Amino acid sequence: MIPFYKLERYEGNEALFELVMMSIVSSYVGEPLHVHAEGLRGTGKTTIMRAARDILPTIERIKGCIYNCDPAAPHCPHHKNLSAEEIKAIGVEVIPMPFLEISHSAKVGTVAGSIDLARLTDPAHPEAQLLPGIIPQAHRGIIFIDEINRLADTSPEITDILLDVMGNKPGHLQIEEAGLPVVEIPVSVSVWAASNPDEEPGPLEEIRRQLSDRFDMVCYMGRPDSLDILANMLEENSHFHKAKQANEAETAAADESKNEQYRNDIIKWAAMYEKTDLPDFLRNFIARLYIKHNLESIRAIQAMQQGAVLHSVLKNRDKVMITDVTYMIPLVLKHRVDGDTLVRMINDVDSRGSKDGILNFKGRKNKKDESDPEYFQQVARPLKDMHRGELVHTEKTLTPSDF
Amino acid sequence: MLGEETNVDKAASVGNYLSLYFGQNQGVRLGESTVISRRAHARMPEKRVKGQIKILINRDAGKTYLDYVDVDQVVHIDVYHKAGEIDPRDVARAIFWALDEHFLEKDPQLQYAEEERFKMVSGYANKIFITTNQGKGLLYDLFQDVLKPYIEGEEGHDHVHILARLNREEYYLAYVIAETVEEVILASGLKLSKVRNIVHGNQKEERDSYAGYIKLPWKNFKGQNAHQLPDKENVNQLILKLAEKFGGVDEIEEFMESYSTNIFKRKGIEQQKKKWGDVEHDVEQLEELGLIKDSILGKVLTKKGLMLQDFVVKHKCELETEIRRNVRKAPSGGSGRFKKLGKVDSKTAQVEYTNRNRTVNDPDKNWSGDLAVPETIIQAKKNSFLRGDTHFTIKKQDLHFYDKKTYVPIDICLLIDASGSMAGDKRQAACFLAEHLLISGKEKVAVVTFQERSSEVVVPFTRNQRVLSKGLSTISPAGLTPMANGIMTAVDLIKNNRVKNPLLVLITDGIPNTPLWTLDAKADALEAATHIKENKIRLICIGVESNRIFLEKLSERADGALYLVDDLNKDNLINIVRHEKKTMMETHKNMA
Ligand SMILES: [Zn+2]
Repeated sequence: MIPFYKLERYEGNEALFELVMMSIVSSYVGEPLHVHAEGLRGTGKTTIMRAARDILPTIERIKGCIYNCDPAAPHCPHHKNLSAEEIKAIGVEVIPMPFLEISHSAKVGTVAGSIDLARLTDPAHPEAQLLPGIIPQAHRGIIFIDEINRLADTSPEITDILLDVMGNKPGHLQIEEAGLPVVEIPVSVSVWAASNPDEEPGPLEEIRRQLSDRFDMVCYMGRPDSLDILANMLEENSHFHKAKQANEAETAAADESKNEQYRNDIIKWAAMYEKTDLPDFLRNFIARLYIKHNLESIRAIQAMQQGAVLHSVLKNRDKVMITDVTYMIPLVLKHRVDGDTLVRMINDVDSRGSKDGILNFKGRKNKKDESDPEYFQQVARPLKDMHRGELVHTEKTLTPSDF
Repeated sequence: MLGEETNVDKAASVGNYLSLYFGQNQGVRLGESTVISRRAHARMPEKRVKGQIKILINRDAGKTYLDYVDVDQVVHIDVYHKAGEIDPRDVARAIFWALDEHFLEKDPQLQYAEEERFKMVSGYANKIFITTNQGKGLLYDLFQDVLKPYIEGEEGHDHVHILARLNREEYYLAYVIAETVEEVILASGLKLSKVRNIVHGNQKEERDSYAGYIKLPWKNFKGQNAHQLPDKENVNQLILKLAEKFGGVDEIEEFMESYSTNIFKRKGIEQQKKKWGDVEHDVEQLEELGLIKDSILGKVLTKKGLMLQDFVVKHKCELETEIRRNVRKAPSGGSGRFKKLGKVDSKTAQVEYTNRNRTVNDPDKNWSGDLAVPETIIQAKKNSFLRGDTHFTIKKQDLHFYDKKTYVPIDICLLIDASGSMAGDKRQAACFLAEHLLISGKEKVAVVTFQERSSEVVVPFTRNQRVLSKGLSTISPAGLTPMANGIMTAVDLIKNNRVKNPLLVLITDGIPNTPLWTLDAKADALEAATHIKENKIRLICIGVESNRIFLEKLSERADGALYLVDDLNKDNLINIVRHEKKTMMETHKNMA
């Protein structure tokens, strides 16, 4: 696999690189950010998402806890009631931030949890125990679902689970296994998904609108449209394979140092993110967009706020700017509103102005004529006070001089 | 109050005048505050003189505001008022009771026929749309407190905007409505605005003046320093707008080539209209966006227009995906605007398949089907343990089976009237329906057309979108309506193909006028319809009210159902076919 930093960036895919970084930073501080990449085959959406696995930072968990309990805030059935001393006694370990995949043909038991077969069939000591599935095991990390539209189509049960998990931040998961007590735990995972809206069974929003709305941002991937980029991609690909044979150790070391740099950046950005807030005027601005354009989804404006702050942090700025918000508009809204509304919103925003100018919605000037309150100067008499002969006026009777 | 004049007299008199002036393509000012016509209205801010309203004689109100295909269906009543808020629900209730009172005044006998009166008024409640600066909706919905939000910039900020589907004999109601609205305005503590005068003319402003809000990159979009994305969204949206009108990327290219400097590729306006309907609006929009300009050759693409053309060619794949995405969407309007007559009770066959994603474990049921071995063993192992069995045992309660799913496949053959009257928007709507069915469904679609003296299979049963688009692009409405011929071709096509639960959808705005076997075109069509029944093909016929009598006979003969619409637009067509497919699936469930 080509390492993350070597993947070709071009206009059609660069937003996804940023979204992936933003989601990692956000997940690291315990605030999931769900990202969906939609596009045709060959746009590299799954490649980018899978490659991001190697730049994930590490997390600390209670030693051996399959639920990834944070030693400072244990949540799993085994550890949630333990005292700090008891946890200390178990110990702590460092693991890479989880990155797990759910395939489109997955079963509920694999995803949520099921009976632990190994323990059940242990000849010496058989016991009926729950084995947490992919979602609880991905706590504090990322779950990647390729072809999410197919999953939503064939497995409404798993879709329901995802709706719960992505419904709040953190989400919620219930693991049921007949004969065993039901386990309910909070889960904080960012869901990354990819799909091709042009293949069966069609775009996610047509299959399960609710699930589509759960994604904070959707990136519509474009294909590379310049020859240079395609040539570079080919070169990188061939170089990758040759280099692998020639000097594996050296390349691996170089890649690792690049990845380490990403990890450090992510931890730095996560610290910045925790300290950065959206200024009031931008929060008002987002609220006004919501009202003016009759947006339905509160999630949309929450995502806009979260995204704008993350975007500014990635640019190493400690102040969020209007451009951070406008940059998020298509990413947050394209899957939620119709094209006309989206374009109106984008063009409405005069992002060039000063702080005051920002709050001016463009187009108002043109509208002035339309809404000039002085347009009608006289007060009309009501119909009920009129005689039959005064009721109907034509252009001719109203402006006789023109005829 | 005003001597002998009753409201009924005043209304009747207004009704007569409206018939007269509407017939001359004119609107009027009613009293001082109200403008009525069957066209769209606009302020005239470009003129120094304030208080004028322009009646846009080239913009039919139904088409402009309600997406109707046929013109002159809707009376447009604007009652202007001074700044202030008007609740559309108040307007709805007042009109409802005013109509009730008016009918009673007109015909006192109605006081004994309360139910009938209520029916009459409710009928109108479904034909009157109200917009104020506080919201909008159908009178019927508003009456029940269901309202849609007012969108800034739409009709209604300084007037109560009413659209009423009324025919000539009902024009007098416009007076009742206007007078009532005035009362609501006054009762809301606002003053009526006096419309100084009215003028008639054409205007560029239109229903979807996207030129007004789409900002192309070369228009110096101000937010450019923000990012590239906004421009891209704008260009995308423009293409989608054009695709909505012309059908697809290929058609957009064809349309744009009509404005190239290559005289061999240029298509005359008449030729364009036949295929795509009214294109003037789109040409205007493109002019406004600086993509088309006048030249000695006529209108040609500008440099920017060529850039757009280039963009379309380069991004064909992505654009086609986006367009398909739009085509797939179900119309949001719901299933309101059609009427179904007759019922079809044919049997449907289902297809069953195994769902490997899901297993079922239900000890109370006797399952037949594929045993899910791993799940069964795990379950048995667990249960053995929980039961405390000394040995591993598999009991009936441990069995897991793979889930079974069924669906009712419905292969659809569209039988499209391609006579001259279907040219333009109706043709486009029928083609859109075909694309929608193919893209949003799993089944095959075929298209048969009839025109002049014959019929043709333009698309054989297929799941291939290319085949469909290619076939559809050859449809060019002209000539007469040989319906019998069309029916026979469709029946043969269905008979000779292995199709599942065939549904024949006849779309026509007329009645047959070219016979097949005899000299009687209608009789031949009815005879042909019996073949539909004989071959156990399910028929639905989509037509317009004026042809009801014949179409009803035809559907009866074929044992099919008739759907009547105000308007053969794409939303209606899609909603009807969806509704019918749903019925077919439910019939199946009930029979199973
Ligand atoms: Zn734990």
